[in-house]
Amino acid sequence: MEKEITYEEIKEDISNLKQQKTSQLSLVWRRFKENKLAVFGIVIVALMIGIAIFAPIISPHDPYETDPINKLQKPSKSHPLGTDALGRDVLSRLFYGARIALSIGILIILFEGFIGIILGILAGFLGGWIDKIVMWLVDVLRSFPVIVLAMAIAGILGQGIYNVVIALGIVGWTTYARMVRSKILSIKEADYVEAGYAIGESTFDVILRYVIPNAIPTAIIMVCIMMPTALIASATLSFLGLGVQPPMASWGSMISAGRDYLLQAPWISTSAGIFIMITVLGFNFIGDGLRDALDPTTNRK
Amino acid sequence: MAAIMDINNLKVSFSTEEGELKALNGVNISIKEGTFHGLIGETGCGKSVTGRSIMALLDNNAMIKEGEILYKGENLLNKTEKEMQDNYRGNELAMIFQDPGSSLNPVFTIENQLQESVKMYRNTSKSKYRDIIIEELKKVKLPDVENLLEKYPHQLSGGMKQRVMIAMMLACNPNFLIADEATTALDVSIQAQFLKVLNDLKEKLQMTVLYITHDLAVISEICDYVSVMYAGNIVEELTVDELFKNPVHPYTDKLVHSLLGPETQIEDLVEIPGSVPRLIDPPPGCRFHPRCEEAKEICKKERPKLKKIAENHSVACHRR
Amino acid sequence: MDSKKVKFTKRLFRTLLTIIGVTLIAFLILHLTPGDPARIMLGQYASEENVQVVREKYNLNKPLPEQYFLWVRDILKGDLGTSLRYNKSVNKLIAERIGATLKLTISGLVFSLLVGVTLGILAALKRNSWLDYFSTVQAMFWISIPSFWLGILFLYIFGLKLGWVPIGGMVGFSSLILPALTLGLRQEAWFARPMRSEMLEVLNQDYIKAAKAKGVKYYLVIIKHALRNALIPIVTMLALRLPWIIGGSVVIEVVFSWGGIGTLLVNSVLARDYPVVQSILLFISLAVVLANLLADIIYSTIDPRIGMEE
Repeated sequence: MEKEITYEEIKEDISNLKQQKTSQLSLVWRRFKENKLAVFGIVIVALMIGIAIFAPIISPHDPYETDPINKLQKPSKSHPLGTDALGRDVLSRLFYGARIALSIGILIILFEGFIGIILGILAGFLGGWIDKIVMWLVDVLRSFPVIVLAMAIAGILGQGIYNVVIALGIVGWTTYARMVRSKILSIKEADYVEAGYAIGESTFDVILRYVIPNAIPTAIIMVCIMMPTALIASATLSFLGLGVQPPMASWGSMISAGRDYLLQAPWISTSAGIFIMITVLGFNFIGDGLRDALDPTTNRK
Repeated sequence: MAAIMDINNLKVSFSTEEGELKALNGVNISIKEGTFHGLIGETGCGKSVTGRSIMALLDNNAMIKEGEILYKGENLLNKTEKEMQDNYRGNELAMIFQDPGSSLNPVFTIENQLQESVKMYRNTSKSKYRDIIIEELKKVKLPDVENLLEKYPHQLSGGMKQRVMIAMMLACNPNFLIADEATTALDVSIQAQFLKVLNDLKEKLQMTVLYITHDLAVISEICDYVSVMYAGNIVEELTVDELFKNPVHPYTDKLVHSLLGPETQIEDLVEIPGSVPRLIDPPPGCRFHPRCEEAKEICKKERPKLKKIAENHSVACHRR
Repeated sequence: MDSKKVKFTKRLFRTLLTIIGVTLIAFLILHLTPGDPARIMLGQYASEENVQVVREKYNLNKPLPEQYFLWVRDILKGDLGTSLRYNKSVNKLIAERIGATLKLTISGLVFSLLVGVTLGILAALKRNSWLDYFSTVQAMFWISIPSFWLGILFLYIFGLKLGWVPIGGMVGFSSLILPALTLGLRQEAWFARPMRSEMLEVLNQDYIKAAKAKGVKYYLVIIKHALRNALIPIVTMLALRLPWIIGGSVVIEVVFSWGGIGTLLVNSVLARDYPVVQSILLFISLAVVLANLLADIIYSTIDPRIGMEE
């Protein structure tokens, strides 16, 4: 004999489901918070972002102001990290370097991401020839070491921030395309999408309601995971003489410039490297923490 | 017939993210030598945990809180890992698992898999290995054995893999075999074949088998005795005949009557209201009381102990 | 048996297509920007005559597709072109330096494999112990350091300050150790973590429980049953990391003034010596493509479940 379901019971069921969903999110957040390294990562990254934003305010000197008489000075009160070969204050250059590093990083990710996500969606959703061509491109590009190809492209394009972004962007979109494509393929096959179609939802609805919400966490993780690569790659290009060059203050070129003065003034190369390392570590901690928090079943604990 | 294994008041918990999962709440099973003893219950009631506790193959987050597992007089829970490995696993105790697909190492040929067993436990020369392997494979009625030897697990069907599994374990000459949901993943027709093989072996070998399953039909086919498990407790232990003629515990009664047969009418089907409790926070007293029509006050407070009510028949219930 | 052959042919075909793609990219690099490639290479101060000579020599006057085919034809004949800067044949330039690069790359690779795989296995076996934690932390540490900076640090500490190794030059083992270590330490992290998770996954499998249930001794369970399965994906990982290993060695060569293909590449890029750049690009990418094919073949032999997978 069937009991009649009342309106009250339905409302209760729905609010239970909502609670479950938010409690899922808060479960993820709780797991993330418990990961000390991940939280530490957020602190580091926030610090670096702060440095980048407030660089003009917190820098003791103008990063471009040369003072040849006071070149290669040891760290002192007026120059906490000493001066470089042209007498510029190292610390100020490092702070301004944060601006360049982070903004290049974001630009690279946006550029790579834009190309990669669009191509990935096209390949995943449309399949057929488009898929084959995109995957061929991916295979071809992945046969080159990123730095090697980016180096060659940047060489042709010339120095400068935007050329770095373009060079790395052309080479690096493949990761995004693959991730997005495989996510779309798996969502396409998912039962709940079939269910959606079965009850008459249009393709657009399907994308909106199922594909995108599932793709968003992936996108967030991707930024945290790709930032280290972008940072190190752009620093490497600058180091090699191809990216952002002096007088602009980029960490990579500072390491390169400091190389000639390793004996007299090791702090130039060392401090720039430490800044890169700390920033990258921060993003790596966050990325790892996110991965663990969202999917603790993957044998990490 | 003497009991070859006595499990007394076994309590096992698992530590999880959400708290302590009290999987086994005082399990009592007495298994007579040379019999096929079934352990039946719904999914998640703790049957597999019991089986793995015997073999000491529990996951890392398992905690044995109380109880003993007496095998031939020795308490297995007191044995070290090394002792279990050297003296018990394989030559005394063996286990076959539910998913044949994942229980055979995918990178070894069938011959290799059995060769390991033979090498470890049969004291013969290398030249005799092949013959013994072929003999063991024939025992489980596998067709075309010679060709099978060089094949890999993924090339075999589920039913065949399961039989290879048995052959591999039996090649160790164990005295006690635990079958953990061995037929659950097989198609019904393959199941029938498999059970035939087991029945056959039952006659030929002097082996005791603990058969863990949730399928009453299988129990009725090959088991002599059965322990009924609910939410971490044994609620009844009886012969298979008695099970169908005279189930005493309310849960067992409902279980037996929920079996479909060709003569069952829809009206006769009995539904057990409610659902299996979460073992993180189990109900106090008798764990079945929330779903029992005859529950009294005492059922909510005190866990009933397994009492003998006849020769070969024990029940854990305040109302019987 | 037949389906294996079909799969293999398909794979070969895919490889061929990839190779064609790779040649296209190596070729098109020079033509990325609007502007005269000859002038780009010679710089804005070169005389018009010189620019004309270069245009003739490198077929830059011809239509693009024809240039491509001429270039490919030359490559197939074994002629990688002439360097603008050195005025030597690129073949010779590469041949002179390939040995040094191989020494560096292979030692770095061997080091990273040995250390990475061992750490990964130990971390999985002693899960959540201090060793596991240490392995994870050190992996994360090495991944976060730019390799060029690590190289400079090592040079500073072990070369300049402690004087244990010579700075620069390629004499014998003592000058190989720092660059190889720099390369190896970074890459090792990329083997340690997947090895650990692969090992953990394998150890969780039913067939490991079955092996234990048979009474197989612990060390045999690990070595015979677990490792045999867990090491298989390392082959793939190796092929995957190869571009990164090569990329890393290029940068490290520059840091340590190691006379291999890497320094040649960087110097050529900076000098706009694009015939050299194109040839090296092609050379490296072909090596990667072939290595991937080889890895697939090896993988299909050691894993009985796989044919030539897509």
